[in-house]
Amino acid sequence: MKETFENCIRCTICVENCPVFKVNPEYPGPKQAGPDAERFRLDGIETVDKWITHCTQCKRCDFACPYGVDPSKLILNAQIRYVSKHKKTIPQLLFSNFHYIARLGSFFSIITNIITSLGIIRKLFKLIGLRSDIPFPQFRFKTLQRFRKKSVKTPEYLSNNNQLKKRKVAFFHGCYLNSNAPVEGRMIIAILEHFNITVAIPNQVCCGLPALGNGDLVKAKGFAKKNSKEFAKYIEQGWDIIYSCTSCGHTLIYDYPEILDTKEGELISQNTWNLYEYLLMLKDNGELNFNFTALDKVISYHIPCHLRGRGVPYPAVKIFKEIPNLKMNIQDIDCCGFSGSYGFKEKNKETTDTLGRIAVESLEECKPDIIISDCGACRMQISNFTETQIIDPIQVMFDALEL
Amino acid sequence: MKYDIAVIGSGMSGLMASIYLAEQGLNTAIVSRGDPICSVSSGCIDIAGTGKKTLDSINNFPEEHPYNKVGEKGISYSIQYFLNIMKEEGYDYTGNFEKNRNILTPIGKHRVTSLVPFPMKHADIGKDEAFHIISFKDIKDFFPSYIRGVFPDTSISVFNAGTHTTMGIAAKMDNKDFLSTFITWIKSQKIKQNKIGIPAVLGITKTYEIIKKLEIETGKFFFEIPTLPPSIPGIRLYRSLKSIAEKKGVSFYGSAEITDFKKEKDRIINITIKKPGRPDYVNADAFILATGSFVSGGLFLDKNIFKETVFNLPVYSPVEKEVFNQDFFKLGHPIEKSGILIDNNFNATESAYSNLFIAGSILANSETMKYQCGHGMAIATGIAAAKSAKEYLK
Repeated sequence: MKETFENCIRCTICVENCPVFKVNPEYPGPKQAGPDAERFRLDGIETVDKWITHCTQCKRCDFACPYGVDPSKLILNAQIRYVSKHKKTIPQLLFSNFHYIARLGSFFSIITNIITSLGIIRKLFKLIGLRSDIPFPQFRFKTLQRFRKKSVKTPEYLSNNNQLKKRKVAFFHGCYLNSNAPVEGRMIIAILEHFNITVAIPNQVCCGLPALGNGDLVKAKGFAKKNSKEFAKYIEQGWDIIYSCTSCGHTLIYDYPEILDTKEGELISQNTWNLYEYLLMLKDNGELNFNFTALDKVISYHIPCHLRGRGVPYPAVKIFKEIPNLKMNIQDIDCCGFSGSYGFKEKNKETTDTLGRIAVESLEECKPDIIISDCGACRMQISNFTETQIIDPIQVMFDALEL
Repeated sequence: MKYDIAVIGSGMSGLMASIYLAEQGLNTAIVSRGDPICSVSSGCIDIAGTGKKTLDSINNFPEEHPYNKVGEKGISYSIQYFLNIMKEEGYDYTGNFEKNRNILTPIGKHRVTSLVPFPMKHADIGKDEAFHIISFKDIKDFFPSYIRGVFPDTSISVFNAGTHTTMGIAAKMDNKDFLSTFITWIKSQKIKQNKIGIPAVLGITKTYEIIKKLEIETGKFFFEIPTLPPSIPGIRLYRSLKSIAEKKGVSFYGSAEITDFKKEKDRIINITIKKPGRPDYVNADAFILATGSFVSGGLFLDKNIFKETVFNLPVYSPVEKEVFNQDFFKLGHPIEKSGILIDNNFNATESAYSNLFIAGSILANSETMKYQCGHGMAIATGIAAAKSAKEYLK
């Protein structure tokens, strides 16, 4: 990475793609925050870069750069360094530990959901630097992990009982699907099983992205190490890893072998699949047929930045094209501005809201019946600006398969 | 993944080729390393030369210039094709293939070009024409005094948009409330002239509605003046073309570095895209190479050896070692002639691949700077190569 930033010819293409630069005059954009400032950083000169935390890590600059520079990685490293040299804010501490919050929140879901909606607690939120004007995600008691403990689908159990199908996948659900949207998680499992695929939910923790985004590299590495060890066991026995949360997926594929540097990182990276990419691959191999029923709907599809950053033709779009009567409008130009924990912080309110409004406006241009998006945080953000129903694409597939 | 045709490069020529092919019903993919140079361009389409008529220039181009492989009819067809698809997309271009026109630049000088996006329709300022300029408080890289140096009667007023970047202002213009405030302010300025010049910030996505509203409410004509990158007209041009391609069903592979390819006899079978995680393999029956010249990374000069970066095709160059450092910034440096030589089918000569077609500024002897034919040549050769590829697939 250190060598590649010298490839920057300052063409400004990254800046043209930066959502934060577009709406926040305090942020100089990825060219200056990335390769330009890096020249000072390498010389050991302290740059005054408080503004570095304005970056949402949407990775649009990496995707746009034609010269192979990854400005977002340079910025991420600078962000980690900035946080390490300053006292951590309460939101940073909270979101670095989101894994534990989500697990606890789910266990005490009845209480947490009431507490986080109480007026007085909301005021406290604001006091510690969290936003009080947007709803906090609701936690569910019946998490996917609790579901896992009930069904004993370990590789050993399944192979001992001759229950293994030709295709076997280990599902990386991440925090959101586990604690906040387990119903969608169960739908994913049902669809995979419908296509004759064995699904296991390995014991897993947070992917590490919230800790990384809040400057806690040590904690992020801890999470990554735990997950890598567990999932590598599956891969070695011929299983593939499936993800649905596009940010978790991005972390597994891009960060585990690089910045989080786990022993099994490369193995994880090579064998991790986006859910829809996987289904599409099976279809191309002739291993499955979708046989969708018609859906008379207009859908607007908000592409999460971390799916866009994968650089493959959007797999869910290719699959949904086979649903008769379905009209689909794709929106990948505008970032929703939420970026996970970034959007919950009071200091980012204006940037987040301005971007959210722009994104929702272009999503609604085609007057959709429903809006879909793979990313739970994107969905949360979009629902703040529209009355239109917003759901996970898996629900559309679930309906079209009549499951 | 298997396609009928894979286009490498998402610049002007690659996009035009893929749009044309997808419209013909072919399953088309674009493989791109990143956003193209046209997204930081002024958004204007240069066809040829600086004279009044483009054809006069083209007729004087040397025999080996790629335009001569396309022919007058072919150029005319492809330019008209470009105008048609942009109109359909709602981002109209003004002009025709035979004529050149002027636009006003931020330094007050004219620049000759051929097709301009509709916000620059009125940018052809006469010698003694009176106009007004609206600038923005603290805006980066736009100094209206340069223009007043050339047009002393120009009056200037400055609006405080609350941000200092062209992108920031353009994003705000897309917002209805902001636009209303801006229009109210313009009315309060009591501008006498009929034409108003403004740096190119009239919206990123809603430019058509913005200009219409401005003209109706103020009764004046507005024209945009291109700025340094971030260039809003460049962003609009690229995003419009990409959106057209996507609507026609072109599949996009982005952030894609091609590290390898497979061949079978005289045909290329697939290309390998390397990135973190599993590599992608794009299989196709035919390929179009539109990776651009040196700046775009299609050509690379390594220790005095010219290289084509994807298929390692033979590169033609008249440059001798000793002239590298001579007059590098003067127009007509021989390095500009470097590139891939093609036959009449747009196949590379001296190369063994029958299903590989070449388009855009990677072509030898194009000398786009000298002949001022950049985007025009890209459009014409993009479509010509696409036509050849389609013939081949029959």
